[in-house]
Amino acid sequence: MSIIEVGHLSFSYLEVEVLRDLSFEVERGCFLAIAGPNGAGKSTLLNLLSGVLKPDSGSIKIDGSEVKSYSTEALAREVAVVRQEFVPVFGFSVIEMVLMARTPYYGPIGFESKADREIVNDALAATDTVEFARRRLGQISGGERQRVFIARALAQDTSILLLDEPTSFLDLRHQVRIYDLLKKMQIEKDKTIVVVTHDINLAAQYCDEALLLGADTDYYKAAPQDVFSQEKIEKVFGVTGFAGRVGREKFFLPLGKFARDYRNKMS
Amino acid sequence: MPVTVTPKKLLLKIAIGFILLLAVMMLCALVGTQKISLARVFAGSGDNIDYTIFIRVRLARAVLAAIVGAALACSGVVFQGLLRNPLADPYILGISSGAGLGAIVAVISGFSWTLWGRSPIAVFAFAGALGTVWLVWLIGRLAGRSNVTGLLLAGVVVNAFFSAMIMFLTSVAKSDQVFSTIFWLMGNMTEEDFLVLWLSGGCVIVGIITLFYISPQLNVISFGEGDARSMGVNTSAVQTVAFAVAAAITAVAVSLSGLVGFVGLVVPHGVRLVFGPDHRQLLPLSAIVGAIFLVAADTLARIVVAPAQLPVGVVTAIVGGPFFLVLLIKHTRKVGWSGK
Repeated sequence: MSIIEVGHLSFSYLEVEVLRDLSFEVERGCFLAIAGPNGAGKSTLLNLLSGVLKPDSGSIKIDGSEVKSYSTEALAREVAVVRQEFVPVFGFSVIEMVLMARTPYYGPIGFESKADREIVNDALAATDTVEFARRRLGQISGGERQRVFIARALAQDTSILLLDEPTSFLDLRHQVRIYDLLKKMQIEKDKTIVVVTHDINLAAQYCDEALLLGADTDYYKAAPQDVFSQEKIEKVFGVTGFAGRVGREKFFLPLGKFARDYRNKMS
Repeated sequence: MPVTVTPKKLLLKIAIGFILLLAVMMLCALVGTQKISLARVFAGSGDNIDYTIFIRVRLARAVLAAIVGAALACSGVVFQGLLRNPLADPYILGISSGAGLGAIVAVISGFSWTLWGRSPIAVFAFAGALGTVWLVWLIGRLAGRSNVTGLLLAGVVVNAFFSAMIMFLTSVAKSDQVFSTIFWLMGNMTEEDFLVLWLSGGCVIVGIITLFYISPQLNVISFGEGDARSMGVNTSAVQTVAFAVAAAITAVAVSLSGLVGFVGLVVPHGVRLVFGPDHRQLLPLSAIVGAIFLVAADTLARIVVAPAQLPVGVVTAIVGGPFFLVLLIKHTRKVGWSGK
């Protein structure tokens, strides 16, 4: 059974229509990458899936029930979200923040139980963040911080993990580490993972399915090798480029006007 | 893990803090222009001047200062957390100007009744404070946007408007009226009778307990509303309760003592720098530290220029400013501020 079912979903901000008549399903334990140009509604879709925004029309079902039928607390047991990273105002430590994922489960006096601590310790171990658990969030690198936010999402103990551009500010090694970690969570903990990303080459290596959001109703969802085809990418993103294959991995390299190969390509 | 707050350690810290507070109150009640001895105080009530001065006058005033200090410090903690702004204080959303306007209206209209032992100034200031918060909340809601920006903007606008009204009224008022208004605006402790202390103390304690009850949610909300919601926190309910309670205890404090500045800004900062940002700990410890701070400041205000008295608001600003600066420099080196 599909754990996420989106049917004829439409959404607009005031007058600007962002999503129109979007339908897709995500199987339990699937790794889905969502790509598309800026403004195509990727983050909006993530906010709709996590219940922060309400659809204008259409339905979003998580585990068989409409998102709007969940209470905030109940939805937080199903869906965890990792947003684009930021440094919080106050100097919370890593472990303090990861513990906050357990807030809905706290007892009457507002403190975590032993079981909560074990879940948090597992999440820290899984994300390789134990060694700096006592440091402040502002004192660790961007890559480390991103892993900590993923640890917090894991500590929520949900079946679905939504991530908004988890690798956008990271260097190559850290990008790969984040995707390795997500893949590990998918395999070991049977998580359903939905990643919004601009890095289609990397996402294509890891995801089982890809959803390409273009303008209007230009939506494609299929296996990544079919969705991230040269023709579709050039059309949706409005760029030209090289598409190729190295070993078994496909890639797309956009070409700018001043690239040395731009003329050859156009002629 | 020693870095996080546990109930046991928190209880211990609260107990120690409470004992410290009681000790400071006793000490401060012994100090003053009229020398008194503890031995004679405990000789009994009856016709005992030492007893009357110690209990009825000085201790009552110390209790009042403690109530006001605790309320302002807690309210500061909540506003800083909700607005995600370490520069926020209890007055940021215009409570001060609303209360000030209420006070000056009361002074000018020259009422002379009392309500539960409170003067018209106190009653009008209380009403003005709550009315302003309600107005700001309403405008913030209408303005939409992100909740926080809307509220801050509404607070700035209402603050500016009411301040202009205060200036207008002071410019047309008689000079003795102006003087008593300005004195009130600076923040003052006076000797209150026990009914007032019980009532306001009860309100503030209930308020602080309510805030403590939602303090885990305040932690999560300080990471932003979106994050808080996806972690299962009903943000609008928590925000509404927190704003309402923080505003209410601030209004109580303001109606007791006028606009005592600095406590609500400095105490939460100081406690956060020393003990960390976890609201479950920050809130009760700020209450105690705020109380101690204001009791001590008010004692200074009583004795520095004795037999005359300074407004306590002057003392909190003069003492609190440099004290806070030292704390800031010492601790930012060690632990980092927002972490940068």
